Amino acid sequence: MSGVGVEVSRAAVAASAERGDSPVSVSVIVPVIERPESLTDLYREFSAPLRAAGRSFEFLFACEPWAYPLTGPVIDLARAGEPVRVLEVALSAGETTLLKAAAAHARAEVVVTLPAYRRVEAEALLTLIERVEQGADIVLARRWPRRDSWINRLQSRLLHALIGRVAGAELHDIACGVRAMRRRVLLDLPVYGDLARFLPLFAMREGYEVLEVNAPQHGADVQTRIYGPGIYLRRLLDVLGLFFLLRFTDKPLRFFGLIGSGFLLGGAAVLLTLFIQRVGGQGIADRPFLLLGVLLVVLGVQAIALGLIGEIVVYLHAPSRRPYRLARTSRNPPPER
Amino acid sequence: MFAAVTGQDRDPRFHAATASRAERDAGARPALSVVVPVYNEEENVRPLVSAVRDALAHTESWELLLVDDGSTDATVAVAEELAERDRRIRVLKLARNYGQTAAMQAGFDHARGAVVVTMDGDLQNDPADIPRLVARLEEGFDLVAGYRERRQDKVITRKIPSWVANRLIGRVTGIPIRDNGCSLKAYRRELLDRLHLYADLHRFIPAVAAATAGARITEIPVRHHPRLHGRSKYGLSRTVKVMLDLMTVKTIQEVRERPLQLFGVGALGACLCGIAFAIAAVIAYASFVARKAQSLVFPGVSLLWFGLAFYLLMLGLIAEAALREELPRRRGTMPVVREVGGP
Repeated sequence: MSGVGVEVSRAAVAASAERGDSPVSVSVIVPVIERPESLTDLYREFSAPLRAAGRSFEFLFACEPWAYPLTGPVIDLARAGEPVRVLEVALSAGETTLLKAAAAHARAEVVVTLPAYRRVEAEALLTLIERVEQGADIVLARRWPRRDSWINRLQSRLLHALIGRVAGAELHDIACGVRAMRRRVLLDLPVYGDLARFLPLFAMREGYEVLEVNAPQHGADVQTRIYGPGIYLRRLLDVLGLFFLLRFTDKPLRFFGLIGSGFLLGGAAVLLTLFIQRVGGQGIADRPFLLLGVLLVVLGVQAIALGLIGEIVVYLHAPSRRPYRLARTSRNPPPER
Repeated sequence: MFAAVTGQDRDPRFHAATASRAERDAGARPALSVVVPVYNEEENVRPLVSAVRDALAHTESWELLLVDDGSTDATVAVAEELAERDRRIRVLKLARNYGQTAAMQAGFDHARGAVVVTMDGDLQNDPADIPRLVARLEEGFDLVAGYRERRQDKVITRKIPSWVANRLIGRVTGIPIRDNGCSLKAYRRELLDRLHLYADLHRFIPAVAAATAGARITEIPVRHHPRLHGRSKYGLSRTVKVMLDLMTVKTIQEVRERPLQLFGVGALGACLCGIAFAIAAVIAYASFVARKAQSLVFPGVSLLWFGLAFYLLMLGLIAEAALREELPRRRGTMPVVREVGGP
């Protein structure tokens, strides 16, 4: 269903006795990807408010191969009769793939994605779930009030200001990762690989209703984080990728053509200047300026040619994709897909 | 008129794309579908619907698809209210504002008629022209485009740019349509099944239809009224976009038959520049600047051009590979216009 085969694990088999009977009201998906804390502690803390509110629920721990050894205690929980399942995917393919694989196996129509570390107070889950049940497509937890150091907040501010400009979205905490959404939405979103962080932005582009809800930051999340320069560079690349994917996926020449035309114009200006000087009697054989002019023209042609290749690829894929999503049709029920 | 579809039946992706066909086939199929994309036209929807009703009073069966392109006003509410009262009216609501091309494609995907007519939702087109378009289509065309006679728009910002654009589009694509900006057009269902619009291609439908679907195209004059309600949603800023889109359309046209050639021509040009500068370098060395590091300018320029030629050739090969893989799958649908002889 999601492209990567999911091996239903021992625990899932153990839990299958109870699967198939009454569906649960919410599936909490925990992708185990980085710096996981104790999964059993996480389960106890975040299932408590759900249980207290009298909700039926299940926790799905989705693991990449390296994380298989971490699941032992969780499997014990499942054996002890807790509503816990472990999904071990066959290969590492990024957080989004994990989320989608888990969504394909979730039994509830409302899913919550919960990072494998504590970001917000557990009670916040209830509000998120309610908002989805009231009709929102995706509800994001925003860590607020924050108890972070000012340095973290500044970083976050800058990143979100940049994203706001690029994606035209007013969100404040896309890195939080605690979100509730309809299962269908998660399955239908055209996201892949490591783009999970930007999932809400792609959802907005598809016309889904995305809400932000304040959730108190968890004490365990409060720490000063300063990363190496590599991380910041990677974020910048992410934003560039986002800029292209959100705006130009179906019209690459608009992007490459604009860049290429800029180069071409610059090159043309340089060459024209040289041409006028040459006509005026000045030699150009010893002018490195000529190299610059020709280089700009060459770069311009290259960018445009790449854009054309992009257009050919888009054209070839046109029959297999719909360029729109329907919210509803009159009289006919809304289409399933 | 169109040959049976071959090849495509086996391509799973084709089925994915035309899943809506099943939706279309459900229920009685009208003879004519009118597709109207609407965006923030709350005041125009009602008069539009009654104008269409009047115009098609003598038509045997028809349906009107109002495609709401993410309006932020009461357009959808008005449209759905009208649809409640008249079963021939259907409303498609897109999830957000996608633009006219996507709205049209949504209409095409859900239209059930054997003939589909598109028009603007702002009442500047006159639905009374629809029967004439359909009649012309039935004379043996796949696409009939309307062109606006005595166009009622501002001269400087609309008519002059439009005139220049139409001449240019005609020149470049080789399909001399007088008025590409006029939405009032009639299509045969079989053509639409083979036409896949995306991005902003709606401005180039005749060129794309001719190049990729072998459509037989003609045009007739249609009426044009000044705008009564609402604001125009276009401006001058789209000139650059149209130019880039035109380049795309030209590439799609050219590349279908001979992808390597398209890039090969560019490579050849770059090569010639490279040779010219190589000769200049030889002359320069032989006669006047044979001493200093600066004398590397001409050889450097020459190498740049050769580098570009090489790069373009490689890109041409990529294009060739992509198309050779993909196009045969779609070729199967080439229409056979006439068959002579046989048993």
